Formats: sequence, structure tokens, C-alpha cells
Amino acid sequence: MNATAAALLALVGLTLVKATPLIYAALGGVLSERSGVVNIGLEGILIAGAFTSVAVSAATGNPFAGALAGIVAGMLLAALLAFAATRLAVDQIVAGTGLNIAALAAAAFGLVLVFHQPGASTEVPALGPRGQTTLIVLAFVAAAALHWVLTRTPWGLRVRACGEDPGAAESAGIDALKTRFWAVVIGGAICSLGGVYLALAELDLYSDGMTAGRGFIALAAVIFGRWTPLGATGAALFFGFFAALQFTLQQAGIPSQLLQALPYLAALVALCGFAGRVRAPAADGLPYVRH
Amino acid sequence: MRKRFGAVQAVDGVDLELKPGEIHALVGENGAGKSTLAAIAYRAIQPDEGTVSSDGVVGLVHQHFKLIGRLRVWENVLLNREPRRGWAIDAGAARARVRELGTTYGLQVDPDAVVETLPVGIKQRVELLRELDRAPRVLLLDEPTASLAPGEIASFFTTVQDLARRGTAILVVTHKLAEVIAYSQRVTVMRAGRVVASHLTGETSAEAIAREMVGGEVPALAARASTSVAPLLEVRNLSARSGTSALREASFEVRAGEIVGVAGIEGNGQSALSDALAGVVPFSGTIVFEGTPLRPDDAPASRLARGIRVIPQDRRHEALVLEWNVRDNVALGRQRTLRLAEFGAAAREVIERFDVRPPNPDALAGALSGGNQQKIVVGRTLISAPKLVVAYQPTRGIDIGAAALVQSRLIEARNAGAGVLLISFELDELFAVADRVLVIANGAFVGAFDRGNLDRGRIGALMAGHA
Amino acid sequence: MTAALLRTRAFRDVAVVIVLVFGVGSIAMLLAHVSPFDGFYALIDGAFGTKYELAETLVQTTNLLLPALGIAIAFRAGLFNIGAEGQLVIGGFAAGWLGAQLLLPGYLAVPMVLLAGVVAGGAWGAIPGFMRARFGANEVIATLMLNFVAALLTTYLVTGPLQQGGAGAAETSPLLKAAQLPTLFGTQLTWAFVIALGLAFVMHWVLRRTVFGYELRAAGDAPEAAKRAGIDLSRTALLAMTISGAFAGLGGASIVAGELHRFNTGLSPGYGFIAIAVALVGNLDPRWIVVAALAFGALQSGGYVMQAEAHVPREVVSLVTGLVIVALAGRRVVAAQRST
Repeated sequence: MNATAAALLALVGLTLVKATPLIYAALGGVLSERSGVVNIGLEGILIAGAFTSVAVSAATGNPFAGALAGIVAGMLLAALLAFAATRLAVDQIVAGTGLNIAALAAAAFGLVLVFHQPGASTEVPALGPRGQTTLIVLAFVAAAALHWVLTRTPWGLRVRACGEDPGAAESAGIDALKTRFWAVVIGGAICSLGGVYLALAELDLYSDGMTAGRGFIALAAVIFGRWTPLGATGAALFFGFFAALQFTLQQAGIPSQLLQALPYLAALVALCGFAGRVRAPAADGLPYVRH
Repeated sequence: MRKRFGAVQAVDGVDLELKPGEIHALVGENGAGKSTLAAIAYRAIQPDEGTVSSDGVVGLVHQHFKLIGRLRVWENVLLNREPRRGWAIDAGAARARVRELGTTYGLQVDPDAVVETLPVGIKQRVELLRELDRAPRVLLLDEPTASLAPGEIASFFTTVQDLARRGTAILVVTHKLAEVIAYSQRVTVMRAGRVVASHLTGETSAEAIAREMVGGEVPALAARASTSVAPLLEVRNLSARSGTSALREASFEVRAGEIVGVAGIEGNGQSALSDALAGVVPFSGTIVFEGTPLRPDDAPASRLARGIRVIPQDRRHEALVLEWNVRDNVALGRQRTLRLAEFGAAAREVIERFDVRPPNPDALAGALSGGNQQKIVVGRTLISAPKLVVAYQPTRGIDIGAAALVQSRLIEARNAGAGVLLISFELDELFAVADRVLVIANGAFVGAFDRGNLDRGRIGALMAGHA
Repeated sequence: MTAALLRTRAFRDVAVVIVLVFGVGSIAMLLAHVSPFDGFYALIDGAFGTKYELAETLVQTTNLLLPALGIAIAFRAGLFNIGAEGQLVIGGFAAGWLGAQLLLPGYLAVPMVLLAGVVAGGAWGAIPGFMRARFGANEVIATLMLNFVAALLTTYLVTGPLQQGGAGAAETSPLLKAAQLPTLFGTQLTWAFVIALGLAFVMHWVLRRTVFGYELRAAGDAPEAAKRAGIDLSRTALLAMTISGAFAGLGGASIVAGELHRFNTGLSPGYGFIAIAVALVGNLDPRWIVVAALAFGALQSGGYVMQAEAHVPREVVSLVTGLVIVALAGRRVVAAQRST
């Protein structure tokens, strides 16, 4: 194989690696928003998944236990947002922002408590290359599965109904608040896998700020992908490509900060191009209050 | 049955009984409590006191359909009751069920159509099918003919009578007395949350029911003075879109000193017309106002500056800031021409001349009743002495007293030389107030009638799109 | 809603905040093997104990007050500015760069340096404002992205082409003496505090008593009605975001010109995010935001002392701040989302 082909193959591989956490977070975002809840807290869920999986892996010596714990942590954080959004009917974006701040702080606090050092954890038992490949493949499986659930199952139909018009859904006998709650929590579980991947598969530790805004880029991927699982996956691959490009171009002597900024700039451009022309679920972000 | 919402006792000690095979009409003016009672009967709302019991399933077709626009007909009809095959929905069985229901009840609809693309009359069929799939013993219909053409109304009631013959108990909540007399066997009248009368329909009349609804005589309207008309607004081949509402090459005129009524069924371009004149959406074609053309890229501010004022259809979202007080709401629209110190005087003027209750400029707009909210919107519009007033459903959802006051003030504005374009879905209102009535159908004007030649049958046919 | 009802809800919110601060704080302290009494004593004493510590609290108050005012004005216009952090950093950078080379006497240099922060921050806020006005782009994601871009851009500039410190240093040269903000009462508190207070009252007056404020509030509270009342929503959005960024930029400039006397990439421990809490606790009212800024400023400065003396990690303060934001998220269900 000649050098160019090898380089391209490496780029593709790196794209998959970089896109995977974005895919998990974006899928979680899609499920949540299709039910009508904007989940700005995806970043916090990634953090929760990453930190908890590392902490439990260190404590038990078992990375699988860590992964499981990461998922549980993500679901708990999502449950907090879901509760605030459904029962308390608060502003979802503000609540999500608060959760991100709290999650980042809790993880930093946890670093000191568990690892007795700020900034980063020690290295912990991780999932290894086999685990990493599994999680990459699983991301695409999850995308296909979510697509099937949303379009073909009764629960998926109800989720979509709640996201378009919760009042109409309730008049058909659906409990819109409960449906939204579980959509957000299950979405949180999917998203947390992205954090587990970052901490236990791509690396083997947790460090402050390692999520670097992936949860927010995932939101751009949700919009770019028109709130569908397959579309969001495609968008996540697109943004992952830019992240992968960073490593390739580094050899070319381009300043590293500009390269690091590529995914964020790509998201900005995508927002401009697509913003006005796509339609979110009609009730997305609107709290539903029963009379 | 008792139900209170905040400071308002919406339902105050009501008993209601529905018998199988009987069409029972529930009438009352806006705010009387009819829709609340229906929602309680449907168990969508819990009453504060009282019980609901039924010998079977209760179905409700809402005034504003509870359908999900982006889903298909079969998804809406069978929502939450979907036929399954394993873990997935059996879409084939679902479509078959919709067709079967359609045939049984004479309400055919394409199961795969996306609901938001359907015309209003068909959407109502979908909602009806949804309730019928549950085999209700009791069927509640809330203002079912609000969006139907006169011809469609007849066929709608044919369906209803057929359902009654099959043994369903039917409640029709309505304020259209002609339909009550024609189709119901029993009528109950509500006023301010209480039942004030209940008759067999055959033993009463529309006039008697109207008196019971209002609790006295219907307030008279202001007198119409003879005016000299002068050219004001000339519209040629106007095309515009606002959401799903479309205007197609519409042409008409409004002169100063006259009220031009626009009769039509909801969804035939009225919103596009109102929004194009307001400057909220662009248009193609020509609009000439006082001799100079209006530009399609005008901002609303320039229309306001020319003396064109629009009273929008949805006061809660398009006219008022519910969290603000009356004073700041009165200033909305003239915040650049009124000085801050003058806000209070303007508010007091509107409160006095339009009988706003409570007469407190610091009251929050959101706490006022619909009628008083509408008085504020109409009041602030008229005290600025506009040249052209576009009033879109100005008496929607308000009590008869407030409606009469609004209509009277519009007549007085006309008497003083303003041109008024009154867009309304209520023919009675247009007949009472307008100098000329134009009929709009499918986005274009299809007929014009002078006050002396108002022919309800002809107008109804034109509204439905029949020549 | 009567005034009595408003008071009840406000009290309930304040109660929730107090419970969160003391409840979650205590749990965290116990987890860190510190008695809550020791922890909170260190926190509060550290915030107000000595003249120096009180001055530090007021410094932190200033650093929070300015971006919080900016965030509040965006909220009032119906927009979310979650990019105050980035706008603050850009403003600080502009101030640091200019202040290291501007050869003007103090009474000109200081205003110029602050103005640099205002302009730079305003421009950084105008970007998402323009994206929203022109393309309808979601300003939440745009401002978040720009936070990261701002950090990367300033790091690049300060370690590369505009580097002024010694090779490899991620900071600008020290500010010339003339460009530094003069201090108050012989402490580290500067005139930035006075400026911030003044701006709070100016903003209150503008919101309540000017046409601009009226139209901005209408755009935020009832966009459809505002549009039909002749208010230009796009222009309002752009102006609000620019002003919001300008406030945050001024915050960054005052940190550089007042506290650090140079720009470095670590100038903000997340002020732009804590300021969201300050804006919410202050119910988006500039007068109450001043009080909220004082409370959170005390938490910030006390937090450093708490970490040093009672060995409770400072992150407890951020954790509680985040939860406060969640708890008070009910305060602003954005009307703009309601009307579409």
C-alpha cells in the first residue's frame, strides 16, 4: 500500500475514533430532543460517565464495572435534568448549563477525594484496544437501533408525539411527562457511553476538561442531522473528521490551536448554513404544564 | 360539578345528564364554562367538587384539534393504541383499521396523509375517527362547526345523527343557535358557570335561548352615521404566504369611512391577508395606500407610521405582553411616539373609553379576562386615530358585552372617517357591522355584497368554494 | 400576580439557595473529612475577616458583576449568552495587549485600555448576535463554541505572534503603570468596582426608562407582539448580544488592568459561567444582581481561603453554584421559545 493510501486509511480510522464519543452524545441528544427536552447537559453527562468509570475502575480494578458505573452516573445526572424539566417545568437550557458546571466541579472535587491529586487521575485499568473497537462498532449499532425504535415501535411513536405536541399526546392518553423523563434518562445512558469511551477506551484516565466541549458539538450535530439518529451520526462523523484532521495537519506546521479550533469552527459554520431551514420537533424546549 | 381556575369560578354547581340516542346542545357565550365542563366530562380536568359517571367510554372532539401535524393520519388515529407485531407497530393493520372506520362511519381519509397537509374539514374527520375507534358510548363535540363551510356543516350533522341513531349520547357545545334549533333534541344554557335553563329544543326558540345566554337583551350597537367615502386602500393581485395561510392574486378596495367585511372559513388566506398588510410577511402584487404604494420589504414600523393598524387574531401572543401591566401594554406600538410620561394618560384614556375592568393601569394584562384584554388591544389601536384598521377576529373568545363594545367602537371609528377591514369567521358579526361584505375562498376574493343585498345562502356557497 | 405572591416565590428561591449552599456544602465537606463548622467558618471568615480579605471579596464581586450584567441583558432580550467566558477572555486579551504598549498618560491610558476590552468583548458577542439575526442560528451553541475558540485564539496569539512576555510565557508583558487601574483605600480593590456599580444602575435606568430598554424587554417577553409593534427583532438581538459581550469584555479588561496587570490565559476561573448564576439569583434585575454578585464574590474569595486553611477543595463552590443554577432555572422560561 502506498503512502497516500496509508495516510487516508489512517485518517478514516482516526475519524471513527474521534467521532465515536460525539455519536454517543448526539444520539442521547436526539432521543431527548425528539421527546421535547433540549439537553444542554450532554457535556456534563460525558464528564459524569468519564469520571465515574475511571473512579470505579480504580476502586474495583475492573474496567467493566467502571463502564457500568459510568452509565449509571450518566443516567442519574440525566434524571436530575429530566426531573427539573418535567416536574418543575424550568428552563431546560439554563438547567442543563447548571448541570454542566456542577458536573465539572464534582469531577474535579472527586479527583481530589479519590485520587488525592487535582488535575488528573492516575492511570486505571482500561478497556483496551478490543474494548475501544467494540465501543466504536456499538455506536453505529446504537444509531441503527435508535432509528428503528423511533420510527417503528409504539414507544418511539409516543416519544415523537410528546416532542411535537404534548397536549395532543396527553389527550390520547399518553403521560407526556413520564415519556419525556424516560427519553431523557435513556438518552443520558447512551451519552454516558461517550464519556466511558473517552476515559476508559481511548485513554485510561480522567483529566480536568478532557471532554473539551464535545457535548456541545454533539448538539450542533443534532441540529445538523435534523434530529434523526442517522443524520446526527453522519454529522458527528463530519465533526470527527475535523478533529482527526488536526493530527494530520499538525505535521504541516500549522499552529496547533488553529487545528484544535477546527471542530468548533465547523460547528459554527454548520449552524449558519442550516439553522433557519430545518424544523425542530415543534415542542422542543417548551416545558409542558398540565392544567 | 364545581371547578375554579385561580380567581374565576369556571363551573359553579352544574348538573348535566346525557341520554343515549339524544343530541344535547350546550350553549352559552364565551367564558360561560361550556368547554371546561366538556373537558371535565372527558376526564381531562379534575373537578374541585362533583362526580362524573358514564356507562362506557367518553370521546371528545376538541375545538382546536389535538392532532399532531407532523405525524400521519393512522399514527394520530391510533396513537397509544397501536396494533403490534412483536415489538414493532403493525403499520399495515393500522392502515386497515383507519380504512375500516372510514367506511363504517362514512368518514374516509387517506391513512398515510401527513395531518398538517390536510384541510381543516378533513382534519376534523381524523380527530373524529380517533375518538370513534374507542367505541364511545358518549361523544362530546366542542364547537365542531367553527371551521366548516355551510355545506360541510350539513354533512357533519348527518354523521352525528347517524351516531345518535346507533345509540351514542351526543353533546354538542356550541354558540351557533341556528344549528341548535335544527339538529338538537335538548338544549342546556350556561351563563357564568351556572346552568340557567334546560329545555327540549322543540319547546323553545333561538331568541329565547339568546336571551337566556346573555341574561337580558343583547346590547345594541352604535349607530351608523352616513359618511362620505374616499379612496384609501387599493389592492391588486396580492399574493402572500403566512405559515400555511396563502393569498393568491387577491384584489379589493377599502375606502375611508366604510367597514369592509371579509367573510370566509378559517384557513382560506385571512392570516396571509392580515400579515401582509401588517408588514409581517412580504407580498407580491400592488398595495396602494392613500395614493402611494406600500413596499413588500417594509418593516411593520413603517406601516404603523403610515397609519395602518392591525388588530391581530391572537391577542395573547401577537398583541399583548402578558407579564406587563396595562399601562405598558397600551404603549406597545407607540413606544417611539409617546413620551414615557404620557404612558399613564394614554392608559387611563383607554381604560375609560373602553370600560376596561379592573380600571387599574398597574394591573397585569395576563390577569385580565379575555374580553378586557381585547378591549385594551382595540382601545390602544383606536385612540391613535388610525387611517386604516385591519381587525382580524376582534371579538374572538370574548363575552357578548365586550364584543358589542368592540363592534360599536369600530363603527364609531368608521363614522369618524377611518377605513376598517373586518376579517371575521362569524357571519352574524359581519352582517351587523359591515357596509360591504367580500367573500374570500382559497386565497382570493370571489364575491362582493352590499349591506342591502346580504344573502346568507349565496355567501355560504361562495365561502365553500362553489360559484 | 400580586406583590405578596411575588415575595413568597422570591423567598422560596432564596430558601432553596441557602439550603443548597449549606446542605450540599456540608455533605461535600464531610466527604473531604472536614467538619462543616470548620469549613463554613473558614469560608465566611475568609471572605470578610480582614480588610484585605474584604477587599478581595469586592474584587471577586466586580469580576462577577460585569459579566452578570451582560448575561442579564441578553436574557431580558430573550437570548442566552453562555459565551460570557469567551467574551471576557477576549476583552482581557485586548486590554492586556494594548496596555503594554500604549504610551499615554494615566487619565487617557486607563479608559483606552478598558475601552479595548469593551470593544473586543462586544465584537465577540456580536458574532453570535449576527449569526442569530441573519441566519437564525442558535446562539446557545454558537456562544459555547466561541468560548473554546476564544481560549484557543488568545493562547495562540499570546504564545506566538503577539507574544510579549519571555519566550514560552503564555502571557502579555506587564501593563505600563499608566494603564493600571488606580486602587481604593490602599487595598487591591480598584476603581473597577465603582465603575461596575455605576453601570448596574445605568442599566437599570436604561431598561426601565428608555425606549431602547422598553423595546428590548418586549423582544424578550413577547417577540411576536413586539414584531407587530414595529420593533426590529434582528436588530435588537444583535444589539443585545453586542452589549452583553461588551460588559463581559469590560470584566476581562478590569481583571487585567486592575488585578493581574497583564493578560494570561488563566485569568478567569470560570467567571463567565458563575455569572449565569449571579444573573439568575438576581432575577435579571441589575439592582439585585449587585447583591447576588456580592454573595457569589464572597463564596469565591472565601473559597480560596477555605481550601488553604480548612483543606476543602475549592470546587465545592463551583458545585454548589451549578446546582443553584439548576434550582433557579425556573426563573426564566424564555418567551422566545414559547412563541414559535
